[in-house]
Amino acid sequence: MADNKVSDGKRVGVYVVSAILLVIPFIAYLLLPTYDRVSPELAGVSFFYWYQTLWLVISAVMFGVAAYLINHLGGEAS
Amino acid sequence: MTTSGLGLPGIVVFVALFIVFAFLGFFGRRFRKGDETILSEWSLAGRKLGVFLTWFLIGADLYTAYTFVAVPSGLFAKGALFFFAVPYVAITFAIAMVTMPKLWIVSRKKGYITASDFIQDTFSSKTLGLLIALTGIVAELPYVALQIIGMKAVLTVMFPLGSGVSTIVTLALVLSFVILVIFTFMSGLRGVTLTAVFKDIIIFTSVIVIIIAVPLAYGGFQHAFSVKAAYQTLNQSTYGLGYTTLWIGSAMALYLYPHAVNGSLSSKNEKNLRMSTALLPIYGIGLALLALFGVLVYAVAPAMSYLSNFSAASRGIYVVPALILYTMPSWFAGFALLGIFIGGLVPAAIMSMASANLFTRNVVKVFKSNISSKGETLIAKWATVVFVFIALAFTFVVPETYSIQLQLLGGVIILQILPSLFLGLYFPKLNKHSLIAGWAVGLALGIALEEVANKFGVLTSSFYTFGPGLVYIGLLAVAVNIAIAVVGSLIANAAGVKNSKVAAPADPPTQN
Repeated sequence: MADNKVSDGKRVGVYVVSAILLVIPFIAYLLLPTYDRVSPELAGVSFFYWYQTLWLVISAVMFGVAAYLINHLGGEAS
Repeated sequence: MTTSGLGLPGIVVFVALFIVFAFLGFFGRRFRKGDETILSEWSLAGRKLGVFLTWFLIGADLYTAYTFVAVPSGLFAKGALFFFAVPYVAITFAIAMVTMPKLWIVSRKKGYITASDFIQDTFSSKTLGLLIALTGIVAELPYVALQIIGMKAVLTVMFPLGSGVSTIVTLALVLSFVILVIFTFMSGLRGVTLTAVFKDIIIFTSVIVIIIAVPLAYGGFQHAFSVKAAYQTLNQSTYGLGYTTLWIGSAMALYLYPHAVNGSLSSKNEKNLRMSTALLPIYGIGLALLALFGVLVYAVAPAMSYLSNFSAASRGIYVVPALILYTMPSWFAGFALLGIFIGGLVPAAIMSMASANLFTRNVVKVFKSNISSKGETLIAKWATVVFVFIALAFTFVVPETYSIQLQLLGGVIILQILPSLFLGLYFPKLNKHSLIAGWAVGLALGIALEEVANKFGVLTSSFYTFGPGLVYIGLLAVAVNIAIAVVGSLIANAAGVKNSKVAAPADPPTQN
């Protein structure tokens, strides 16, 4: 109980939200038919490429939020 | 056609920056100085790296020269399938966030330096620790070798094609590795970390400049894709399942490699590690842009003409170096090529160090346990030197295409330690005999399927035709491995079989 300001219920919530944030990019990439197409293009690059690259940014944001939540509200034992 | 090579300004820039690189490597030992005769000081930089340095170090460690050369090369030859590297480098960090901070905590508490230390202790089995260590070392070797192949490609395009090239390339390569080995020996991971930051800055600058400048000068991606219209999307009916299983399997495999674990354990605390791991997909943007170079090159006629000097099977690795050489002014090409060149050296150092740690702690110590802490570090340092030069020799003895096949096989092999490491972190009650059985069957199945899929000939594919389409073999093999480990453990636990007579396995850690 190093971080005694955080209740157990809140901690569980933090882990559930973090788990969801980690899983969303996985699902996005799993749905191949949604992005395996040419248009809309970006600077001549087909959707297939730029969409997946964009998800790198979204993934980093989601993972970063999850890391922040666990680090600050998840308590010491993780 | 005759080729001009890089030219003098580029070579001057390349050499000057290499000197800076070597200086940083030597200077690194003064950086947050520690006692380099202690293994965790030398090979983990004293476990003191913050969010920023951990990010750079692991980024430099995982996004290697091979990635920067092989992924564009795959895209160049086969098209969209090789963009699997992008979902792979997004999802692998989600897996790492769930596993690496946990491994960090228990390693800090118990003084572990390798994944095998953890496995050996958790399951009270030196045999399992030894098998896992050997698996890691075997899978790592072709990975180091491929760094060297990427570096060779960079050096090759720098000189006019002709009789003397291979001698110059060999000499330059050996010289670079001698310098690398000396500073790694002296400065350990501290030196490597500083060079990693240097490498990253150069690579990012280069990629951004090229991805903007080249499309502007050569009619944009529209032009490139008009030459290769089929590359605009994946052929889903053929490659859909293959694409998905390949990125999932690769994402599962990356953090099983010794160098990934080594990099993670050098973080200052588990919170820093969690945050820098979370932000590593950003590094993947550089990889995604470089991958597109594999298509962009079709718009650059002089680069295509240069590539035609090589056979269709071997020209892939020259795609990125040639694109840089034929689109950029000499001095900038020298800058960018150096980035890729040291992009091979930095991971080669960490990979060799990680293998050396496994060899020292989980192979040598199993047979000779009374080694002092100083002696242990000395063995690890010399083992690093040996591993670097074995890998170097490997690239001169084994043909390039064969190394790439061994790397494919390496991925299938390393996946077989997943139950012991990743599942072991959460389920220390897994039974050691079941883990060994799963490992053995997974390995045998993976290698057998590779052979069958390639009709017992040259390994070119890691896909097995399975029901609706192609499936990545590594994923099939590890699924069987996990099933054996879990079912076996359930049976053993039901029968009351314990991993050790003394009930002293790792408790779930609560504090740092």
